[in-house]
Amino acid sequence: MENSIVLPGDVVGSTEEFVAGHDTYVAGGYIYASTTGQVEIDRERRSARVITKSNAPPRLQNGDIVVGEVIDMKESLVILSLAVKKGYESRPISDEEATIHISNVKNSYVKDLRQMFGLRDIVKAKIIDERQLRLFTGDEELGVIKAYCSRCMSDLRLKEGKLECPTCHNSETRKLSRDYGLGVI
Amino acid sequence: MEDKITFIKDGIRLDGRRVDEARPIKVEVGVLARADGSCYLEMGNNKVIAAVYGPREVHPRHLQEVSRAIVRYRYNMASFSVEERRRPGPDRRSYELSKVSREALSPVILTSYFPRSVIDIFVEVLQADAGTRTAGINAASVALADAGIPMKSLISSCAAGKVDDQIVLDPMKEEDNFGQADMPIAMTPGGEITLLQMDGHMTVEESHRAMELAMKGCRDIYNMQRKVLIDRYSQMENATRQEEAVI
Repeated sequence: MENSIVLPGDVVGSTEEFVAGHDTYVAGGYIYASTTGQVEIDRERRSARVITKSNAPPRLQNGDIVVGEVIDMKESLVILSLAVKKGYESRPISDEEATIHISNVKNSYVKDLRQMFGLRDIVKAKIIDERQLRLFTGDEELGVIKAYCSRCMSDLRLKEGKLECPTCHNSETRKLSRDYGLGVI
Repeated sequence: MEDKITFIKDGIRLDGRRVDEARPIKVEVGVLARADGSCYLEMGNNKVIAAVYGPREVHPRHLQEVSRAIVRYRYNMASFSVEERRRPGPDRRSYELSKVSREALSPVILTSYFPRSVIDIFVEVLQADAGTRTAGINAASVALADAGIPMKSLISSCAAGKVDDQIVLDPMKEEDNFGQADMPIAMTPGGEITLLQMDGHMTVEESHRAMELAMKGCRDIYNMQRKVLIDRYSQMENATRQEEAVI
């Protein structure tokens, strides 16, 4: 069975032998594949899973880089609506919400979260908890990749390491990503 | 009135098939670059193309379900798909076929993995020759698998009909138009029926026989679907292996 190619509905193993892993489902004591892929059996954990082909809908895992929009800000929490996972740009994420806690914004102390993010900002972040969808933006390439002026909503431009509004000359601060304004993920 | 047409002569039908023989099938996977999954399928003179998008955000928003993905299926016939030009756009028939086809496929889709999203299936009939709904379901099932959408199994679909008081497999246009009955079904490889329709007249015994014959047709189609998906997967695997070798 191991390494063989399976289609949805093919038997991968029995529940007496293995624990059902990703891309499988259990019915009547048997483990079946739910997508097309290759069977992988983990002998240590006694689990059987299917490795899907590359263009399957993305699954969010710890360590993945994701991009989302800030939809709400609390005292110590930023809520993002996720849009896409890095490397899976052609398969957008549908309606997943994730959070960044104030302690995971930077590697140093953050006093005021409103100095780090603004509503509607586009943020690149890393998943540190795949179950509760908690994110981290401490690394250099992580953080805000596009921001809007809080006064007039025009795009903020990066000028000598600071964000400035070209329309009303308002200057703002953010936890910036190295890739701010470049349009790359 | 002209004489009654003879559909079956010495066990051979108008197009040279035996009564329990389906039309030749051709399946191609991944034919559309923009779709998440796609399939082109020919069943005799039927030509259909299926595209799958999703799971993606639901628009309009009020249609979304909090605990599962919704499945939308659009069956559409091209204006040039039939002999006389068909007025483009949905009509009563295509609404019905969209509904029954969606209900034929959705029982196997594991929708609970994608709450608040939609899986869109589009089926375009390019050329019609009776049995487009079954061709559409077969193509959509392969396209769903190509899109990597988790499913309990594939779905295969085939029709049986009654002409000259005989049960025949996979009726073509002449048999469908002038025959006595038509019964399309869809099922999982395990034999669970997800679509069963019938028009015309059949006795109980005849309907049993038609069901058996259509199920045999479905099993043959399932083997075809299986083969193309496995070929496609092996191809993709080889391509990635070659890429890795180059790097």
